[in-house]
Amino acid sequence: MSEQDSRKKEKTMTTAQAKDFRPGATLPNAAISRKLRDFYDAVQEEGIPDRFLDLLERLEQAEKNAKSADVK
Amino acid sequence: MTEQELADRAFKRDLLASLPNLRAFAVSLTGRHDKADDLVQDTIMKAWANQTSFTAGTNMRAWLFTILRNEFYSQMRKRGREVQDSDGLFSERFSVHPEQYGRLDLQDFRKALDKLPDDQREAIVLVGAAGFAYEEAAAICGCAVGTIKSRVSRARTRLQELLGVSGESDFGPDPGDAAITARAFGS
Repeated sequence: MSEQDSRKKEKTMTTAQAKDFRPGATLPNAAISRKLRDFYDAVQEEGIPDRFLDLLERLEQAEKNAKSADVK
Repeated sequence: MTEQELADRAFKRDLLASLPNLRAFAVSLTGRHDKADDLVQDTIMKAWANQTSFTAGTNMRAWLFTILRNEFYSQMRKRGREVQDSDGLFSERFSVHPEQYGRLDLQDFRKALDKLPDDQREAIVLVGAAGFAYEEAAAICGCAVGTIKSRVSRARTRLQELLGVSGESDFGPDPGDAAITARAFGS
């Protein structure tokens, strides 16, 4: 791949990653978008609270129990 | 392992993988972590009970977001909208680590986001943060693509007004801001 090609590819990737920054979007728009993502990511980074892992375990177990009851 | 067991396992795996994003959407809608987690819990139960209605290989994230959104609005209709506590739990949560970059900024942003009409807030969050295309967001919200686009646009304008952003240089006194923005845009 020529240097020009790889540069072109890099540019395409950047555009894809920043797809919500449309051409003509002003900087304040970009600042808003960034704040929104910072906020959203901060929540995502908290991970999955244990209560949900426990809940899924219980749901799965209940399903298994129901199935084995069916077999009997 | 039977085909059904494999499908069940895939379902659970995809559900788990979607949870952080789904939860962030719930926090965006409700404005509070405790309410958001109750909403996520209800969504998990509904999703689990309706596993068979999910078509394997289709977009589970969009399916879950649709369930959560419907649940949110149906609960809101039942209870009537409670007074938002923008300064409450969310702020407490995020002020635990004041040394971290941007936490105070995030509180201001959160408050501004809370002031948006529900339809604008969900539109800008789905498209601008949750990673959905306009078409997907329209399907989740049950409206036309053009409607989503105009809601996102109005939400942006309103947020700019609320946060008093008239230009990048006006946005926050933190000089680190500019550097981060510059990195983000490769300029």
